[in-house]
Amino acid sequence: MGEIRRLLPPHEVRSDPQSAERMRERGFDQALATIWAMNPETVIEWVTASGIKGRGGAAFPTGIKWTSVRQAPGEIKYVVMNADESELGTFKDRVLLEQDPLGALTGLLIAAYAVGARKAFCYIRGEYREVEQALANALETLRQGDWLRGVDVEIRRGAGAYIAGEETALFNSIEGKRPEPRVKPPFPTVKGLWSSPTLIQNVETLANVAVLFAHDVSWFTQYGTPKTPGTKLVALSGHIRRAGVYEVPFGVPLADIVSDPDLGGQVAGSGRLGAVLLGGAAGTFLTPEEVMNHHLDYESLQALGASIGSGAMMFFDDTVDLGWVVARLARFFAEESCGQCVPCRIGTRRLLEIVEAKQWESRVHDVRALAQAMRDASICGLGQTAPLALLSFIERPQLRPHA
Amino acid sequence: MDTEGVQEVAGLLKDLPAERGQLLPALWRVVEHYHALTPALIGAVSEVLGVAYAEVYGVASFYTLFDNIEGTTPVHICTDVMCALQGAEELKAWAEQAAAGLPITVKESACLGQCDHAPAAWIGQKILRRATPQVVQEAVKAVHHG
Repeated sequence: MGEIRRLLPPHEVRSDPQSAERMRERGFDQALATIWAMNPETVIEWVTASGIKGRGGAAFPTGIKWTSVRQAPGEIKYVVMNADESELGTFKDRVLLEQDPLGALTGLLIAAYAVGARKAFCYIRGEYREVEQALANALETLRQGDWLRGVDVEIRRGAGAYIAGEETALFNSIEGKRPEPRVKPPFPTVKGLWSSPTLIQNVETLANVAVLFAHDVSWFTQYGTPKTPGTKLVALSGHIRRAGVYEVPFGVPLADIVSDPDLGGQVAGSGRLGAVLLGGAAGTFLTPEEVMNHHLDYESLQALGASIGSGAMMFFDDTVDLGWVVARLARFFAEESCGQCVPCRIGTRRLLEIVEAKQWESRVHDVRALAQAMRDASICGLGQTAPLALLSFIERPQLRPHA
Repeated sequence: MDTEGVQEVAGLLKDLPAERGQLLPALWRVVEHYHALTPALIGAVSEVLGVAYAEVYGVASFYTLFDNIEGTTPVHICTDVMCALQGAEELKAWAEQAAAGLPITVKESACLGQCDHAPAAWIGQKILRRATPQVVQEAVKAVHHG
């Protein structure tokens, strides 16, 4: 089927991505006019009917989240765009904000209107300075075009902390505290920024909202599967000929992503696929056979214990020592653990030691016990999911060279 | 820090509301102005914003981008999986060679989100994509002169 461009602007869209002309060319001005003519409940009904799920990795139904925030008691509510994209192999939000920053911002304004928030934050990682500037210029366009309608949007720059992308850690960061995750529940929909109900969404989710309202529900659901309508950005990197970000419908065969000349365009390096790490650093290693036989949808991948995650797909040819990759991932988690809770602080260090000593076979019981403790007792997703890639590697002996 | 120093920091932060929620933007301003975050500067921020020294220190020391060796300019070379796969270690060695004797600190960076253009480096305000030793060495020298 090849590449679709809905979230990413179609190639014929040529206007300056940060300009008022772009607002019109993409129909985002119409999207805002449409929602302002609706009551907030109807806006949320559209989002629910579209079937949009969160695109940051958790795939939580967006309409349900918006309803919770709208209904949560509280005078003050906040909306937040999470642009703290920092997971290795993940760069889709960067590309989306480079190419179409007004889309995600329009989605943020729609979200503010729907849940009743007057204050919005865009939290962007400190390493994305050029993208931050694009976002600031786009925001100025919205201000001058009178599209903000009283919503105060503030851009917040992170300063180099992967964990700050975790939603409750991000709140602490904005509040001027150490970006350490909070225990959930209470969930952000009830108690988020400064203990007020807060809607936090990934950049790509908000871009989906913008294109939804620039069209309608039936247009939106033309692509994708009945359970997961719409399109997904995938970020291809490593040993793949056309590394980059592509938009594909949910349900597309993974094999198409690898070999379609408009998508991955075939495996690079040796030309023979060794494995794909799907979903990011806490993702799942897939064998070439699994890649050939599964689709980009949650049900198909669940059978493998895998998920789409952020949409990251890291390709490794058959010459790469995946034990080395697993060690790199373990180091990443050990360095990025905030240290607040013991299962994660100690667990990520133990995993690193085991992996660096290549003891994944001799200490497999330790790994499994540790993974269980980390999953059940860590405060946030970092500790809970840090062992996943290693476990998937252990479960697939064909990925290990028989030395 | 003497009164004058605190006054200077206060001037730098004068249009920010003096509240805890402005701590991160305040720290960014101080770092970009002084290219350092010394205990004295942390003390000045604490005084200006009315947030306890230990709290400011705890926040400031959490973030890697605030961890500058005083008086040196950081050069970031991404050494995460995708960049490592495409020659990041070698790139780092070239950067270190170019930085030798200059007030520049070469740092290994976590993923810069440029995996489709690996290897990547972040030097000055610019991200370098598909960085070559030559490009990195030139950028390191330009940072020094700039």
